Amino acid sequence: MKEAVENLLETACRALSELGEDSKALDLARVRFLGRKGELAQLFKELGKVSEQERREAGRLLNEAKARLETLFSEALEKRRELDSAGRQAIDVSVPGRRAPLGRLHPISQTAAEICRIFNWLGFETVEGPEIELDYYNFEALNIPRDHPARDMQDTFYISEDVVLRTHTSPLQVRTMEKRKPPVRVIAPGRTYRRDSDVTHTPMFHQVEGLMVGKEISFGDLKGILTTFVHQMFGKGVALRFRPSFFPFTEPSAEVDIECVMCRGKGCRVCKSTGWLEILGSGMVDPEVYKYVDYDPEEITGFAFGMGIERIAMLKFGIDDLRLFFENDLRFLRQF
Amino acid sequence: MLISLNWLSDYVDCSLSTESIAEGLTMAGLEVEAISVRHPQLKNVVTARIEAVEPHPNADRLKICLVRAHARGGELLRIVCGAPNARAGVVAPLALPGAELSGGVVREAKVRGEVSGGMLCSRKELGLGEDHGGIWILSAETAVGVALDEALGIRDVLMEIGITPNRGDCLSFMGIAREVAALCKTAARYPASAVEESGPPIDSLTSVTIEDAQGCPRYGARLICGVKVGPSPDWLKDRVEAVGVRSINNIVDVTNYVMMELGQPLHAFDFNRLREKRIVVRTARAGERFTTLDSVEREPGEGTVMICDGVGPVAIGGVMGGLNSEIAPDTCDVLLESAYFNPVSIRRTSRALGLKTEASYRFERGTDPDGVPRALDRAAELMRRVGGGRVAAGRIDVLPHPIAASEVELRCERVNRLLGTSLACDEMKEYLESIEMRVEKTAPGLLRVRVPGFRSDITREVDLAEELARLSGYDRIPVTSPLASVHAADCDPRQMVRARAKELLIGAGFFEVINYSFIASDALGKLRYSDTDTVPAPIRVKNPLSDEQGVMRTTLMPGLLDNARHNIDHRSENFKIFELSKVFLPAGQGPGAEEIQHLAGIMAGNRSPLALYGEAEVDFADVKGVVEQICAFLRTEELRFRAESLPPWLEPSASASVYVSGQRVGELGSVHRDVLQACDVKRPLLAFRLDFDGLLDLRGPVPLYRGVPKFPPVPRDLALIAEERIPVEEPLEFIRSLKEPLVESVEIFDIFKSEQIGAGKKSIGYRFTYRAADRSLTDEEVNTVHGQLIAKVTARFGVSLR
Repeated sequence: MKEAVENLLETACRALSELGEDSKALDLARVRFLGRKGELAQLFKELGKVSEQERREAGRLLNEAKARLETLFSEALEKRRELDSAGRQAIDVSVPGRRAPLGRLHPISQTAAEICRIFNWLGFETVEGPEIELDYYNFEALNIPRDHPARDMQDTFYISEDVVLRTHTSPLQVRTMEKRKPPVRVIAPGRTYRRDSDVTHTPMFHQVEGLMVGKEISFGDLKGILTTFVHQMFGKGVALRFRPSFFPFTEPSAEVDIECVMCRGKGCRVCKSTGWLEILGSGMVDPEVYKYVDYDPEEITGFAFGMGIERIAMLKFGIDDLRLFFENDLRFLRQF
Repeated sequence: MLISLNWLSDYVDCSLSTESIAEGLTMAGLEVEAISVRHPQLKNVVTARIEAVEPHPNADRLKICLVRAHARGGELLRIVCGAPNARAGVVAPLALPGAELSGGVVREAKVRGEVSGGMLCSRKELGLGEDHGGIWILSAETAVGVALDEALGIRDVLMEIGITPNRGDCLSFMGIAREVAALCKTAARYPASAVEESGPPIDSLTSVTIEDAQGCPRYGARLICGVKVGPSPDWLKDRVEAVGVRSINNIVDVTNYVMMELGQPLHAFDFNRLREKRIVVRTARAGERFTTLDSVEREPGEGTVMICDGVGPVAIGGVMGGLNSEIAPDTCDVLLESAYFNPVSIRRTSRALGLKTEASYRFERGTDPDGVPRALDRAAELMRRVGGGRVAAGRIDVLPHPIAASEVELRCERVNRLLGTSLACDEMKEYLESIEMRVEKTAPGLLRVRVPGFRSDITREVDLAEELARLSGYDRIPVTSPLASVHAADCDPRQMVRARAKELLIGAGFFEVINYSFIASDALGKLRYSDTDTVPAPIRVKNPLSDEQGVMRTTLMPGLLDNARHNIDHRSENFKIFELSKVFLPAGQGPGAEEIQHLAGIMAGNRSPLALYGEAEVDFADVKGVVEQICAFLRTEELRFRAESLPPWLEPSASASVYVSGQRVGELGSVHRDVLQACDVKRPLLAFRLDFDGLLDLRGPVPLYRGVPKFPPVPRDLALIAEERIPVEEPLEFIRSLKEPLVESVEIFDIFKSEQIGAGKKSIGYRFTYRAADRSLTDEEVNTVHGQLIAKVTARFGVSLR
């Protein structure tokens, strides 16, 4: 038996050394020696024929041979693998991937979505309204009567005597309050139109309107919500400034300036050396407006605000020409 | 509103710096938009004395002046000068290198070989007059070596202040002075209004009758006799010009001066040209025509407030005077008008006539009815002083109904709650008093506020709240968080689906575009729509900026085609773009239009973003795939494409209408070559359009889980030779309609034509997947079913098995 085992090991060693580069041959050799019906298995079978006295010793020899063979083959396999990977032509990993093409959302959409997302988090619901709007909602119910100089603040496109292209998203204030009982918390993004076209004006642009109305809502709360928004949108450290202004549908009214995001308030071309950028208009809803929607101004207070999305997008992305937004040049759109 | 700080200092003393005043005004709601020096060209121009004059060695007409430009000591400068009046001993303006005169920047330069360290200037060269006869000889006492504007006392700073429409009271120096006074915690000074009267009483000379008390609630007049019309004295001319008003003559300049000073527009009539020497205020009659000061004949229209003499109109009240009574060089007696007009009436007139004046601008924003006499007196006295006339005794002041000052109750606690502040009642009282309100504490926490006439914008408690907020400072209002009940913001599912559909398209390589909502009036024509087509006529914009933006879009295609043209022209030839946005259809619901969401896109050029992986161009299957993908995302059912009911902008041979659940929801295919040509697009385009709102209504329900199959699928193929005209989908539909329970799915895996098959034929390969829910299928079982299906398909379509 001992002889047979030694023979087997010797044959196996020779076979392994003569394998060459064929990896299939290694598999075959493994089957030949270590397989279920292999040569080693045959020897194990003969164990029964060995005398009782020798069987123990023969068993030990066989088990040792098995361990030895397994080591030999796994070493050979390891060596084989190393040779294989060294020999194989590696792929050029720098070849571009076969990717599906990827487009982009328009920067205005991205900005509007970001603004809405922030306010949605704060519990403001997104609402929409018509762009071809009644004079009543666009002006009248916002306390801008026909013969008021405030109408000069917005050059209007008319469809007919009583129908206009909305000049702001503010009609949504009235439309929303008309439909709902307080408390109201909404945000309204959309297209708006003014009859104006030059380097800094396009006849169509985008606004987001916000409205929060209920009991005990103060000007301090307006400052709180808008400060939260600015910090979310432009970063925590950005300073804000609330400045008195005039809108017929808010009282008191405030323009909100933020510290120039380009120069961090030091003064640059973008902020015209003031260190401040005007980004939105706001104020406490004027009691006159409540009268149109049948809210009791003694009971209900609240605030509204509106901002130009293009303006915010320009600041966010560092875009210096408003007209780029509507040219839809791929060389522009690809950048966002 | 342009404010000269020199002039302003007549009415208020404030020790704050210019920058602090500007900051303070801005933070009080009067936005200072720009600060500039009055004469920027005088920077680096100083007074200098010519100590000696030497001849120029190389030029007969030039000389070299040795000039002292320092108060004490310093070297003498050598200045080349050609002016005949440049002689030793005189003091003249010297522009030093760096001065930016209208003729250019002054530099140290060689003039005919001699270095000149600056330039001695004439008035004209300094932009301070027309005189160019020589250098400007200043008074011999003028200090030497000081800035010229300082020496002349014309150093001034101008502030451009943006006045919001509610603050008509700030359209004057006095108004701004009041705000500055509040800022500096001092009081504004009103100009003296004592009049030296010397004529007979005015009542004996003229009269004023108001017939339209609605349009003109107050009309005051004074008479100045024996004036001499002529140029204004320098101080007056300088002041009106400082704020950008052209000097006309002494009488007109006084009216403008007082308007700027007090905010009350005035008008001066040539008294002797007033027929019957009296004034009647009435409304215009139908068809009445009138020629205004600017020599334009106008028809004011019924209801316009007209200022008339005994016979007819002499001015359009509050807007513009008439040519027939204007101040002329020979005017001797002046009737001066100071009135209060109804703001709404003035605005209507101004708009109707398309005529905006300094006067109408102020009247429509509300002037101070109580300020009428003050301005009258102030202007009459100034006219007497600069025009040399005599002011008739007394003034006419017609006021048919007393104009009550507004009184507002203020609840301190309520205001604090609105603002989120905790101002004490006394503090509020002080703030309001600082802007000339009369405040009385009527009960604890209750103030009664009498609002001065110039603040017509303040009529309610909330208006006072705003005053308190801005006077105490918006920045002092604490930042708080609102208390609100927790409720989930409802979310319109349509908004959400739109946002997700956009993301889907972006994942498919599309770029989103945003086009104007208006399109050119002829845009539909370019899409080959004719007038007889049953498409709705677009809604017209009444006052478009151009015909290119003449109508509201009824389709997204014009914008997309223009984007395609632009990009192809700029060498971006491989692109996919889409727009998901509103179109505007006439009538329907909504104020003027039915506004519905469309989704449309255009594809052009290579399918793969990388040439490496092939340069095949996009084709019909690509654009169809996009539509199929969107419909799959929306879980719509029964999606069909049929080459029928196509819009004219598509190529009929390569396009299809899209149907979902039997409803037509859009179309897709190749853009018609005539459309490409009309839109100047130089490459072929594929396009799709979907009525997105309509499609949303056809969305499938939320799916219910049906279990994952436990047994293996068995595939079988079927190859058919069919007539080429038969759509590949037809046999497919037929197979599906047989509803064989073991058939899990059937798909087309191969379509080809060849000579072997024969002309007019094609081979279609269908792959069936068989599966049972309760067992593994045997080959025999599947073969039997498959054979039966093949027989039915062949019988139905007469196709042969390959």
